[in-house]
Amino acid sequence: MNKEIDHDSSIWTEKYRPKEFSEVVGQNDIIKRVESLTKAMNIPHLLFAGPAGVGKSTLALVVVKELFKNTWKENYLELNASDERGINVVREKVKSFARTKSLGKVPFKIIFLDEADALTPEAQQALRRTMENYSSGCRFILSCNYSSKIIDPIQSRCAIFRFKLLEKKDIEKVLQKIAKNENLTMHPDVLEIIYEGSEGDCRRSINLLQSTAAISPSINPDLVSTMIANTKPKDIRVVLDYALAGDFENSREKLLDLMLKESISGQDVVKAIQKEIWNLAIEPEIKVKLTEKTGEIEFRITEGSDPFIQLQSLLASFVLAGLGKK
Amino acid sequence: MTTWAEKYRPIYFEDIRGQEEAVAKVIDFIKNFPSPRETPSGLKKRAIILYGSAGTGKTSLANAAAKETNSEIFELNASDLRNKPQLKETLKPAIEQRSLLKKGKILLIDEMDGIAGEDRGGIQELVELIELSEYPIIMTANDAWTKKLSPLRKKCEIIQLKDLDYKIVKDVLIKILRKEKKFIDNKILTEIALKTKGDLRAAINDAQTISKLSSEEQIKTLFDERNKEENILDVLKKIFKLKASNETLRTFDQVDMKTDEIILWVEKNIPLEYRDKKLAKAYELLSETDIFNGRIYKQQYWRFLVYENIFLSYGIASLNKENKTNFTKYKRPTRVLKIWMNNLKIAKKKTIAEKYAKHSHISIKKAMKEFPIIKLLINSNPRR
Repeated sequence: MNKEIDHDSSIWTEKYRPKEFSEVVGQNDIIKRVESLTKAMNIPHLLFAGPAGVGKSTLALVVVKELFKNTWKENYLELNASDERGINVVREKVKSFARTKSLGKVPFKIIFLDEADALTPEAQQALRRTMENYSSGCRFILSCNYSSKIIDPIQSRCAIFRFKLLEKKDIEKVLQKIAKNENLTMHPDVLEIIYEGSEGDCRRSINLLQSTAAISPSINPDLVSTMIANTKPKDIRVVLDYALAGDFENSREKLLDLMLKESISGQDVVKAIQKEIWNLAIEPEIKVKLTEKTGEIEFRITEGSDPFIQLQSLLASFVLAGLGKK
Repeated sequence: MTTWAEKYRPIYFEDIRGQEEAVAKVIDFIKNFPSPRETPSGLKKRAIILYGSAGTGKTSLANAAAKETNSEIFELNASDLRNKPQLKETLKPAIEQRSLLKKGKILLIDEMDGIAGEDRGGIQELVELIELSEYPIIMTANDAWTKKLSPLRKKCEIIQLKDLDYKIVKDVLIKILRKEKKFIDNKILTEIALKTKGDLRAAINDAQTISKLSSEEQIKTLFDERNKEENILDVLKKIFKLKASNETLRTFDQVDMKTDEIILWVEKNIPLEYRDKKLAKAYELLSETDIFNGRIYKQQYWRFLVYENIFLSYGIASLNKENKTNFTKYKRPTRVLKIWMNNLKIAKKKTIAEKYAKHSHISIKKAMKEFPIIKLLINSNPRR
C-alpha cells in the first residue's frame, strides 16, 4: 500500500494525491470514460469543468502518468491561466513546448491549462487557434469552474466532463486513509465539521486535517473548529459594523487593511458583503435596499477603474442604513 | 561614469566625517589586536561589529583602517556565507595565510544583516574562526542587536556609527560640488541634507542628480511639490465649502495635477466634510466619476474627462446649500502609500505562495488566498 504514497512530499495533498485511476474517489462515470480513452492511447482535447477540489487537476495528472509512465515530466506542460500574463505568454510557452515531438509510443504531448475560464473571450479565441495549430503533436486538457465561461468553438473541440461536488462519504474515505497512515485518531464528528468548513473541497479538507494534526494527533471537533476560524480571512463584519454605527472613517480604514492584508480583490469584498447582509440586525426593507446597492456596486466595479472608490460608496450606503436603524 | 558616492568615498580616517568616537575605537582595537597565540581564548575581543544606519560610513571606516595600517583588505559579503561549509571554505584560508610581502591583513565581512536566519551553523562557525584568526575581523551591520547575531556579540567589540548631522552632510556636499565645479542652491542643499536623514550616500546621490538640472529647474523641483500641495488644499476648500456656481467648473484649472490624483484627495477628505446623506451623495458622485474613468481606460475615449471634472467639482459643490466658513484640516491621501508598503511586505509571502502553487498544482492567486492555512502547513513541517 505504501508504494502509492509520494514520500517526497511533506504536504499531504501531494503525498496522497491519487496516481492511478483506481485511487480517485467520486466521479465514477467520468473516471471510467477517461480511463478507457487513456487506455486506447488516443485522447481528444479534454475539458474538465467543476468546482474547486473535486479532482480535475488530479485526473489530468493521472492521465498523463498513465500515458507516459516515468517520462511524463518531459511530455507534460502545466499552465495556469490566471497566473500567466496574457494569452501571448501562454502561446509562447505552448509554442516552445510543442516544438519538439514526444518520445515513446504516445504520438502527442499534453498541455494542461488550469483555470481556463480566467481567460477573456478574446484570449480564448487566440487559444483556439493555438490548439488547432499544434493539434498534431499536442493534446490540451483545460480545466475551469464553469463550462459556460468557455467559448463555444473551444467547447466543441473538446470532450467535456462535468465534475460534481464530492459527497461526504468520498471526503471521508480520503481523510480516513490519511488518518490511518499518519497515525491520527479522529473523533467521529470531525468529518462533518471539516466537510462543512471546506465546502466539499477535498484539497482544503486535507489541508485542514494536516494543519490540525500539526497541533495534536488526536483530532477533536473543537480543535478543527478553531482551526477553521483561524484560517478564514478576517471578517468583513467589523467593517460593516463600523459603517452601520456611523463611523465611516474607521470602516474604510478597516476595509483597506483587510483587503491589503489578505490580498482580496474588490469583487471578493462585494461578494462577502452581499452574503453578510443577511446576518445583520436590520429591517427586511433595508436589507433589500442594501442588496440592490451592493449589486449596483458589483456592476460598477467591473465598469470603473478603482474598486476601492466603489466600495467606499457602498459603505456610505451602510452608514445611511445605520441611521434608519436608530 | 562613477558615481560621486564612489569617487569621493573616504580613504583615510581623517576623511571620515562625524564619527570621531567610532574612529578612535577602531584605531585602539587594531593597535592592540592580540595574536591568537599570545592570549588565551576569550580574554580579549578579537573582532569588531560596526553598526549604524545606511550611509553612515561603516564600510568606509573598515577600508580606512586597512589603508592606515598598510594592510591588505579581504572583503566579503555576509550573504555569500550561507552555510557552514561555505563559510569555512572561504574564511579559513584567509585567517591563516600569511599575506604576501608580510603585509598585515584585515578581514571585512560586510552587511551581516544579510547572513539571514536560513544560515545553518554559519554564525557558530564564525565565532570559532574569530578565535583562530591571525588578523582582525571587522563586520558591518545596520542592526547589531538582532537575535541571530547574539552569539557573535560576546566575542566582538561593538561600535556604533551615528546618524550624521545634517550640517555635516551639507558640508560634505558643498565640498564635493566645489571639486566638481557644479552649483546647487543653498536652500536645496539644506533640503537634501535634511531629507536624507543622516544617510550621506543618499544625499550625495541626490545632489549628483539635481546638479544636472539648470538652476531654474532646481528651484522648480523644490517648490513644485510644496505648491502642488498648497494648491490642492485650496481647491478642496472651494469644492467642499462654497456653493456651486459656474465658476466652480474651472476649479481644477488652477492645480497642475492629474485627475486620478485629485480623485484620491477628494476620496480621502469627503468624510471630514460631510455626514450621512451628503456623505453617501458625495461618494455616489465619486463612484460615477470612477465609472467614467474606467471607460476612458478601456476605450481610450478621453472626452469622458469632462464628466469626471463636472462630477468632482460642481457635483460635489452642489451639496453645499450655502457657503461654509468653518475650517477643516484636510488630510493627505495615504492609500497609495499603504498599498505600496503592503506590496513590499507581501513580496516574501508571494515567493512562498509561488513555490506552494507549483508544488500543489494550483494557481498563485489561489495560494495567496489560502495563505493562512499554507502558513500552518509550512510551520508544522520540520523538514526543509
